[in-house]
Amino acid sequence: MKKRDIIIINIVIVGLILFFIVKYANDRATESDRASIASFEKMTTTTAQIIANYLEDEQHLCDIWANYINGSAEAGTPMTIEAAISYIRKAKISPEIQGHLIFIDDGSMKGISTTPSTTDLTDYSVNYSHIDIFDNIEISNVNGVVSLTRAYTNPLNGVQSIAFLNNVKILDNETDALRDGLIIRVVPVSRLEQKLVFLKGEYENVEISLIDMDGDYMIHGKSLKNSNFFEYFRSYNPMSPQEYNKVVETILSSEGSMHIRNSRNEDSVIAFTPLSGVDSWFLVAYIPAKELTMNRSIDWILLGIVSLGLMALLHFNLILLLSFNRRLSVAAKEANQANEAKSYFLSTMSHDIRTPMNAIIGMNEMILRDSRDEKILMYSESIKAAGNTLLRIINDILDFSKIEAGKMEIINVDYSFVSLLNDLVNMVQRKADEKGLTFELDVDENIPGVMYGDEIRIKQVITNILSNAVKYTKEGSVTFSVSATKCEDKPDYVTLHISVKDTGIGIKKEDIDKLFVAFERIEEKRNRNIEGTGLGMAIAQSFLDMMGSKLQVESEYGKGSVFSFDLEQKVVKWEPVGEFDAAFKRYISERKLYRVQFTAPKARILVVDDTEVNLKVFVSLLGETKMQIETADSGDACIALFKRNPYDVIFLDHMMPDKDGIETIKEMKECTDTPNQKTPVICLTANAVSGMREMYINAGFDDYLTKPIDTGKLESVLLKYLPTNLVEKAENDTEEEKNQQAPERSILVVVDDVEFLRKVREWLTDQYNVVVVKSGQQALAYLKKHEAELILMDSGLQEQDGLDKTKLIRDNFKDMSQDEITSQVNKFFGEGC
Amino acid sequence: MNKSIKKIISMALLAMLVLGTSACGSGASKEFSPKYKADTEYKLSVVGTYSNFESLESAFERFYVHYPNGEIEYTYLDDYRNTIVPALAGQEPPDIYVVQSWMSGNEQFDPLFEGAEVLSDPSLKINLDCIRPGLKWEMDNGEILTLPVFATSYGMLINMDIFEKEGLKVPTNFGELKETCEKLKSAGYESPVMGSNTTTTPGIGHVFAYPMLAKAVKDDRSIENDLNNLVPSAGEVMRAPLTRLKELVDSGCIDIDKCTAEIENDYDAVILRFFEGDVPMMLCSGDVVSGTKKRESKSEAFTENPFKYDFFVAPSGDDGGYYMDSVSIMFSVNKNSANLDMANEFIRFLTSEEELGLMAEKKRLITPTKDYSLDQVYASLSGFPEDRTVNFRDTEILDPAVKEFRAAADAVINGKMTVDEAVANYGKFTAK
Repeated sequence: MKKRDIIIINIVIVGLILFFIVKYANDRATESDRASIASFEKMTTTTAQIIANYLEDEQHLCDIWANYINGSAEAGTPMTIEAAISYIRKAKISPEIQGHLIFIDDGSMKGISTTPSTTDLTDYSVNYSHIDIFDNIEISNVNGVVSLTRAYTNPLNGVQSIAFLNNVKILDNETDALRDGLIIRVVPVSRLEQKLVFLKGEYENVEISLIDMDGDYMIHGKSLKNSNFFEYFRSYNPMSPQEYNKVVETILSSEGSMHIRNSRNEDSVIAFTPLSGVDSWFLVAYIPAKELTMNRSIDWILLGIVSLGLMALLHFNLILLLSFNRRLSVAAKEANQANEAKSYFLSTMSHDIRTPMNAIIGMNEMILRDSRDEKILMYSESIKAAGNTLLRIINDILDFSKIEAGKMEIINVDYSFVSLLNDLVNMVQRKADEKGLTFELDVDENIPGVMYGDEIRIKQVITNILSNAVKYTKEGSVTFSVSATKCEDKPDYVTLHISVKDTGIGIKKEDIDKLFVAFERIEEKRNRNIEGTGLGMAIAQSFLDMMGSKLQVESEYGKGSVFSFDLEQKVVKWEPVGEFDAAFKRYISERKLYRVQFTAPKARILVVDDTEVNLKVFVSLLGETKMQIETADSGDACIALFKRNPYDVIFLDHMMPDKDGIETIKEMKECTDTPNQKTPVICLTANAVSGMREMYINAGFDDYLTKPIDTGKLESVLLKYLPTNLVEKAENDTEEEKNQQAPERSILVVVDDVEFLRKVREWLTDQYNVVVVKSGQQALAYLKKHEAELILMDSGLQEQDGLDKTKLIRDNFKDMSQDEITSQVNKFFGEGC
Repeated sequence: MNKSIKKIISMALLAMLVLGTSACGSGASKEFSPKYKADTEYKLSVVGTYSNFESLESAFERFYVHYPNGEIEYTYLDDYRNTIVPALAGQEPPDIYVVQSWMSGNEQFDPLFEGAEVLSDPSLKINLDCIRPGLKWEMDNGEILTLPVFATSYGMLINMDIFEKEGLKVPTNFGELKETCEKLKSAGYESPVMGSNTTTTPGIGHVFAYPMLAKAVKDDRSIENDLNNLVPSAGEVMRAPLTRLKELVDSGCIDIDKCTAEIENDYDAVILRFFEGDVPMMLCSGDVVSGTKKRESKSEAFTENPFKYDFFVAPSGDDGGYYMDSVSIMFSVNKNSANLDMANEFIRFLTSEEELGLMAEKKRLITPTKDYSLDQVYASLSGFPEDRTVNFRDTEILDPAVKEFRAAADAVINGKMTVDEAVANYGKFTAK
């Protein structure tokens, strides 16, 4: 996972936690807000009730005045305006409150007051004609309800006041007629405001307004700009006329609250309620929303600390993560360096081990060819086996390194399936023989002859499986089966079914998975004597993965295993391989010891290698071809000879000091002053890392041959590149042909000592077709399908029914020398001495 | 950019900076610096004639920034003319009150002036220099008792979109006005000029011709007394403005009947009719213009098809119009205020081009300061020629004389009288 992903996930988690905290807080806050607003609404209702009570009281006092004055009129002793005012003057207690009595029947709206004008203390007259406070009141009949005006300016003292009204009958001094008068109890607004002081304790910034149906104020909250509440609302809360009308209707018809924006565009809350018992007056309580929300019961400190804690934790983790990442980065860098070092080491190892191995195996091959001393031959065989094992291990390690680095590629080519089978069977037959195992081959004769795929890797996979089968089978057989079926959905493809069955030690169920783990070896202790790196199956599985297949394993512990896989291959030629197994049997029966494939006494070969022993090996290996071989120990020496002497084939080592093979061939290709412009140059290198072939071909080489040198391959390469007129048949061909006229006799050797069996086969192979097995049962199994003219069975083994006694010789063969055995065999066949 | 250009620009910027900082008052900083501690507690009341004074309430909010622990309340006094004096003498006297120019010389209002703080007292450090000289009201003894808050004038609202559409320029003299009207009429505008056919201040006669009369009186103050005393012979001074008014009507620039039919009052109706969008020129006073901003949203026609409009002086003269630079309202501080220091401090705060400009811009009235730039509608008044400007202290034409003129104008434009008859009837209109 990338650092960025980890940071994102951390942030997302912290974000989610914070989100839920905030959501929780918000939910609680909303709940709290609702509670606060409900409480505010309740306060508004209570306040409205207090105000209504007060207004009713004031109206009641006004009504008392009116009742008294009207009572006099009803009693037949109506009061004059002066008398009425005089009465009111006596009746009213508070000096702040005035009583005005005006005539309304003539529309003059003039009269007298209980208090004189502030500007003329002798002037008690009052005039309401210029004060439009009665517009919405039917002043001729205001009995029965609280009748009061909007806040207005008392014309006598300029104080903002409200007026409570009632009708009275007054005697006109001049006409003695009863006239309609209006008695006005004038109460300063400030007196009403004083009644609301109690609210300040609970809500510091609450402002109480009393409005009429039009939005005009009796009491005006200072924050509510504009002289009309609805105008104010509309100014700072833009909305459609329909919405506006709905808001007005809501305020005038119900109790409740709503959020509004004030003149500073701040969120505010108004609670509204009609004043009960007072017609057309409404209480509007205004408060900044933040004051209500300040009362929230949310523990913001706690939530804040949690949030901060999470943020701190996040930062701490991020810092820690960054620190780890820095360390990891350093470690990764070091690992990369180590990996590079490993690659370099492997490359170097490949070369450096293969180079001396070339000498060892090459020289050993010479020993095997030339020596007749049994002991030396035995030692030499051991060297050969150990050398080959070592080479295989190196190859495995190289391949695995490449797979690990993701540099292994599947390179598909057209390949002959027969050739592939041939190589595989050659390899495994020899190994099986060495161990005295029966190798069974079951090849479907309808398998197409030429297919398209990575021949090398397929071969490598099957080789690994077959090698393992042989390696872990002490006795019995190894059966290699190959069949093919057409792919239904892909007409050009077949599916190859490949399986290898053995009668080996088997694998415990719990160990099967370990098979594919690199460097893991099953039952290490038990199999410690079996060579291997533990890479074979891992490599095989990796290659199969790359080719879209999977290795299947069925095993019964102690009885044997079956390894199988299916592989889709494109068919290039549908021509079937035919009876490969029969042909192979023939080949087995006809195979021979090494014999030089050709001679070419006139051919001139140049071989270049900085290691003298390699040059010797090379020359020795080709000694029987009688070619003229010249050597050079450096790139420069090569170029000098290249310019001077004509050659038919040149073998050039890659890794050389000063001027390596690539530089040398580059110079050679640029050289025009040479008789060798068309001479093929073969790369001879110990660098067997996969993919090298392409590199060498691209560098200008005509072909590529790895060290240690396989004589057969070397001769094949020479046959490919040497002019045909220079190549002659080898002299021993004649002898061979002679031998071929008399079919080789077959001998089955049954001895329980594998090492001895190997020796016997070596001793007799020159003259006879030798098959070795370790037990009577194996002998019988072999004889079911094969024939043997002579059976040599060690006397230490129990005699087996079913063996043809006419062909059977029983003796203590393990204690016999080569000559003794050869003598017995020759005697049986009536040959030799 | 080469060095010389950089130098010129730098010098220009420096000069602008210097001019800017000394624009109002001699070197005084534009930034208000409080005289008292910020935590001073106070309560002030302001009373006035506007039922709605949001522009002042906005100024309160800005004042609270400097003095947050206080409260200023504006109260509209009913029947201000009759209640302000008792209020000053009453139990709850205001700390600051509105004064209007017509109150001068009327003994009823003497207490307003007698009880007013001397704002020109140097100890108060009120920078009255930012007020246009013509609007500063010095008493006989040289004291200044009032702070002009808004100015007003008479002229016309121009629908700039119509002028742009018809490819016309705003006329600057009467000749151009007639030509413009001709073109507009041929373009289909029946009455290129409209206005309220009333005898009030924003009425057609007053708005178009009164500035011409005032200019005549300013040029010859000798007739002022007779005019104020309604001496019939003084009516002669009305001849020229009434003749020009008659000429306006006769030329077809204005269809009086159409105005009567379509504009039923001198305020709302004027604005809403103008917002219909088909009136190129609407005669009105500055007070009417002050109502335009709020009514834009109330006019469906304007909401659907908004247009640009500006205020211009009506081009009644041959050489150009006459700009009546009048004070709309003024503030005085009650020198007996219980909160006198803070009342003065508030007035000191208010007396700046910025504050008065902001208030005027919000109220959409003309600022009393020298800087007209805050409200684009009045931009045309900036730099108006002094020789055709009549400041409110240039003449002292009393209310009765003004009413006589308005009545005469009404008679002329409605065809009730000829100009000669109207002139001859001077002094008798209001008596009727």
